[in-house]
Amino acid sequence: MKTLDLSLLWPLFALQGLLAVIGLVSLARARSVRGPKWMWVIIILLGNLLGSLVYFTIGRKE
Amino acid sequence: MRSAWFFYRKEMLEMTRSYKLLWIPVVFIILGIMQPISAYYMPEILKMSGDVPPGMLELYKLPGAAETMAKSLGQYGMVGLLVLALSAMNSFAGEREGGTAELVLARPLTPLAAASAKWLAQLTLLALSLGLGAACAAYYTVRLIGGLSWSAVLEASALYGLWLLCVVSFTLLFSACLRAPAAAFLSLAAAAGLALLHTLLPRPLRWSPAALPQLSVEALMQQGATAYAWVFPVLSGIALIVLCFLGASLLFGRNKLPRF
Amino acid sequence: MPPLLQVSGLHKVFHGQTSVDGISFDMEQGRCVALLGPNGAGKTTTLRMLAGLLSPSRGSILFDGKPIGKDYRKQIGYLPQSPSFYNWMTGEEYMHFASRLSGMGRKEAAGRAAAMLERMGLEDAAKRRIGGYSGGMKQRLGLAQALVHAPRLLLLDEPVSALDPIGRREIMDLLREFGRETSVIFSTHVLHDAEEVCDDIIMMNRGRIAEHGTLSSLRVKYNRPVITLRVEERKAALQWLESFSTRSFILESRRDVDGSMLLKVEDMESARSVILREAAERGIPLLRFEAGSLSLEDVFMEAVGG
Repeated sequence: MKTLDLSLLWPLFALQGLLAVIGLVSLARARSVRGPKWMWVIIILLGNLLGSLVYFTIGRKE
Repeated sequence: MRSAWFFYRKEMLEMTRSYKLLWIPVVFIILGIMQPISAYYMPEILKMSGDVPPGMLELYKLPGAAETMAKSLGQYGMVGLLVLALSAMNSFAGEREGGTAELVLARPLTPLAAASAKWLAQLTLLALSLGLGAACAAYYTVRLIGGLSWSAVLEASALYGLWLLCVVSFTLLFSACLRAPAAAFLSLAAAAGLALLHTLLPRPLRWSPAALPQLSVEALMQQGATAYAWVFPVLSGIALIVLCFLGASLLFGRNKLPRF
Repeated sequence: MPPLLQVSGLHKVFHGQTSVDGISFDMEQGRCVALLGPNGAGKTTTLRMLAGLLSPSRGSILFDGKPIGKDYRKQIGYLPQSPSFYNWMTGEEYMHFASRLSGMGRKEAAGRAAAMLERMGLEDAAKRRIGGYSGGMKQRLGLAQALVHAPRLLLLDEPVSALDPIGRREIMDLLREFGRETSVIFSTHVLHDAEEVCDDIIMMNRGRIAEHGTLSSLRVKYNRPVITLRVEERKAALQWLESFSTRSFILESRRDVDGSMLLKVEDMESARSVILREAAERGIPLLRFEAGSLSLEDVFMEAVGG
């Protein structure tokens, strides 16, 4: 069994975390989004990469 | 063309304020490094997921470095393309339907200058995202799987980037005359159509820009069938981009006011 | 020297529908012209053509005697009906952006932008995002961006129609102020607004110019004697009122919405004595008798066939 090399894995988790944080900041500062804001908080936090992606591409109003 | 420069700076500021310049490169990096990581840890992932038939794990063969890198770039052709098309779809349509175009085009800003600025801004975003994403993907592949030729990675990324730019230029063209969702849908459909045609008729359509992803894979594998196979797809890709760009500026000039 | 603006035979056809149907007028430097007309009269289309945003189907626009070209855009300021800005920009950033697009240098742009924002009373909001501005603030920002490059001609489309009374007052005061410094064309469907700030009035209806002239010349031209009559709602009285439409000394009669009768007459003296004598002889229950002249509002209603 390979040992999990954390030095290579943590950047992946850090980037996913960063994406979620950008999503939440953008959500907090947005005046209005499609659908209720709390729904997007859940989607961003639980949806991983896909959740943030969905928020950025269809949740935001431009 | 000084006005084009100010408009470009406005586009970049807009991308920064909407976090596009941040989240799209991050997504590209994640997509890029996920491929080598999941290839490398596949046995562990399978084991954790539970009942794997015995002997299955022993059969698992770590894919080659070039193959992994090609798969990373392939991600950009799917999820990456979707993200880029959705982010470019509002480029002209948003200005037209939102009414901001009416104000800026009453100034000495020509539709051609505005279109140049918008196209350059999309190119900046694409180059930044693809550059960072491919570099990180290559780094992870080399660390976890095996050596890659950096020049091959560069060549493959450039070929793939040109294909992505073709599709983004399509999005801009459609955005200049249609509403945003229609623009994104049509440009993705056009990309899929071109790719399908190329798969069905690979030999007669060797020269088409849809050959670029395949050429990119071959560049990584360093097994190009003929040395100059890339010339015609690259030239036709550039021609397509120029046509889309000129079409976009023409259409934006005609459709600068919101529809009633 | 040619007039500032010469418009001749301007036509615009959209998808087979004529929106502007042959408009011609000249405008001298320093004048303020109101384009007055009901909705759908073709005011917005006319202004968009003047702003160079739409190309006319037929006809020509000359500025300083020359066809409008690239240089022209530096010399006009344009404010559309409901201006949209980039909501993610601050007021100050937008003003900078607009000035630089109009070819101003960095320092000049910064100076003019700050000065205009202050003049419009937006200096406190300059560093806030436009997305948070009220309708009145957006309209003032719209005026600021239209004026920042010191244009020779200002084109404003319904600058006050979407505002509340206070916002309206603010913009009208600013307009009067800037109307002294530059040439202005603005569109409105409210006669009062036109009278308040403008020297010349162009009344538009269904894509054509229905009436054109200075305020005072229009007043003189339409200064016809008018008698307004109102009676109690009784059969005999109403019949008597109706009979005026066929009398020889009455040029024209029209029933108003409140039931009173407007009578345009040839000669006030004789008409007045006839009407009053008849009313006395027949015992007509008169509620109102007024001898006056046509107001500009009536001229407007008449011109647009309302």
